[in-house]
Amino acid sequence: MMNSLVQAILLGGYYALVACGLAFMFQVMRIINLAHGSLAILSAYLVWEITDALALSPFVSVLMILPIMAIIGLLLQRVILERATKGGELLPVLTTFGLAIVIDNLLFQQFGANTRSLSPYLGDLSWESYEIFGLWIGKLPVIVLITAIVVIGGLDLILRFTPLGRQIRATAFDPDTAGLVGIDARKIAGISAAIAMMTVAISGTALGLRGTFDAYAGGPQLLFAFEATIIGGASSLWGVFLGGIILAIAQSIGALIHPQGFLLGGHFMFLIFLFARIYFNRDVFTLKHWFAKRNKGEITA
Amino acid sequence: MKVSLLAPFAPNLAKLVFCTAIAGGVMMSGQVYAAADDDTIRIGFISPRTGPLASFGKTDGFVLTQARQALANGMTVGGKHYQVEIIDRDSQSDPARASQLAKELINQDVDLMLAISTPEVINPVADASEAAGIPFMSTVMPWEAWYYGRGAKPGEESPFKWTYHFGFGAGEFYKTYISQWSLIDTNKKVGVMYPNDADGNAIRAVLAPRLAKAGYTVIDPGAYETGTSDFSSQIALFKREGVDIINSFPIPPDFAAFWRQSAQQGLHRQIKIIQIAKTGLFPSDIEVLGSLGPKIASAAYWHKTFPYTSPLTGLSGEQLADMWETETGEQWTQQLGATLSLLDAGTEALKQANDPLSRTAVRDAISQLNVTTIGGQVDFTSGPVPNVASGPIIGAQWVKGTGQFKLDYVITENVTDPNVPVTHKLLQYNTK
Repeated sequence: MMNSLVQAILLGGYYALVACGLAFMFQVMRIINLAHGSLAILSAYLVWEITDALALSPFVSVLMILPIMAIIGLLLQRVILERATKGGELLPVLTTFGLAIVIDNLLFQQFGANTRSLSPYLGDLSWESYEIFGLWIGKLPVIVLITAIVVIGGLDLILRFTPLGRQIRATAFDPDTAGLVGIDARKIAGISAAIAMMTVAISGTALGLRGTFDAYAGGPQLLFAFEATIIGGASSLWGVFLGGIILAIAQSIGALIHPQGFLLGGHFMFLIFLFARIYFNRDVFTLKHWFAKRNKGEITA
Repeated sequence: MKVSLLAPFAPNLAKLVFCTAIAGGVMMSGQVYAAADDDTIRIGFISPRTGPLASFGKTDGFVLTQARQALANGMTVGGKHYQVEIIDRDSQSDPARASQLAKELINQDVDLMLAISTPEVINPVADASEAAGIPFMSTVMPWEAWYYGRGAKPGEESPFKWTYHFGFGAGEFYKTYISQWSLIDTNKKVGVMYPNDADGNAIRAVLAPRLAKAGYTVIDPGAYETGTSDFSSQIALFKREGVDIINSFPIPPDFAAFWRQSAQQGLHRQIKIIQIAKTGLFPSDIEVLGSLGPKIASAAYWHKTFPYTSPLTGLSGEQLADMWETETGEQWTQQLGATLSLLDAGTEALKQANDPLSRTAVRDAISQLNVTTIGGQVDFTSGPVPNVASGPIIGAQWVKGTGQFKLDYVITENVTDPNVPVTHKLLQYNTK
């Protein structure tokens, strides 16, 4: 039981890492990027290609593809998303859906049918573990969890405390008014897409390290990312982190009830949160709401 | 702006392109027919070349090229000469697509339909062929999932008049596993991981009870859903029960997730035999596991050392594998021989038919077929059930490569086809 919980939290770290790019893009640009999973697979292939060709550690290769993915993000925003958003809310969804199919099939064309993984380049690290109080904790999942915390924490700090972060928040809040005070909304959107793609690069690498991938592996990643985003609430990145962990715990509980319940448990939790978000005031999901209530009660008393 | 101006014409544009393509196709096929002065036998061939099952279809283009070369001058049946045309289609790993392609090929008047690799491809094509009355043959899926999975009942007459399948089944897996697992001294406790899919459910229903009868304790945590990414509850159960053997029928990403997590939890240190099917058919499935890959046991429906030659191409197993490796630079896979064996059996049936253009004659020839293909004997006269010929599944193991590839695939037992030479001793997984 305890072991399942620990494993679930570690898995949740991975889900959070996958979800943060999707959530960031949704927050800042109001776009649900359905090509998210496919782009993660693309970056996994890029890391694999560099690692294999230059005999580097995947941890080094990922640093090399960060700028590549940033440029891809910028191009994505300029060439596709910017035009698509002008056509209403539905068009970016359709466009990115089409983009996902195009990327999947291009990857298949280029890399073929073989299953790939980055873990052979890690040697035994891919399965080594720490033994703590009778619990076995894999080193790699711990690395992924820490990466998720660093990435999300870093993004959060940028958004809160830097001029760029203020501009991004302003643009997200109201692009037209942001324009009035001298913020170039187009530039900010491009930078945001670049940042989102850099997190996608990291999550794609995490997928390649902890599992396997082929050209069509993007779909499930998108699903997990989407569920974690909705559960966590797209309004805050730490919410998405919690969302990933809640999703993983729900899946583990599902699997404990019945072995077939793993995915079902996650879907069920996703639906509960989805309907709750539709029917309740969004305040219900903040800690402030619950603490404030008590304070209010004290005041009236 | 340009895009939005063109948008109203888009449906018409699509129609135009579509019509042009159809017209072009008709003209081209017209030319082919005009050029041939003999009658043409048309063979439909459906396999998964793209999509999640693409690793099965990877070698099909190469094998089809060999078959087409062998058939370039047509073939003579009953003193009459025929041209032979193989029309191959990609199911895109989608059962609905496979069914649609089968209907298209039926409309193109194929004389024989062939389908290969996994229930997702074979069963829809078999059903469409059965409904249309087209002779059909397939291989590479457990025959129980083909026969019972499509509505046949045990003990009753076969409901199938046009469709035939050859190859391994749960019965062969049983014989092979018992033979393979007796090679190493174990506590006879088997942890099984069968997913909730056509193969997994067929194997759970047929194989697990027979293993129990043979004296093995089967520890089954229950069916899991494909796409599961955390297996800690199953791993905890296997550790608690102290299993020595693990048997699984997973897809590659699920197995990588399961086995890596098992290693993180220390389960791999107690396992003497890890016997997997479906994953581990192809070298890349095992290579992705890195240092956890070698000594995983598998079972092969074909191996390049099978001592048979292809009646269609005249190639031996070694020759076929070498040709593939020189042409592509990639390691041979067992699918090479499986695909060629289907083409062997199909063309042999056509040769033995009184009239290869008559559907009933071809069907009757298949029902009486007893030939040796590159994959071994295919005998529909003495199958376990009507419409089915059973085939071998040979115990094998992935070991560290000695040649140019990272891993070698070696044969460790041969109970289902004693003609195949055993070359290696089964290595225990948890020894260095």
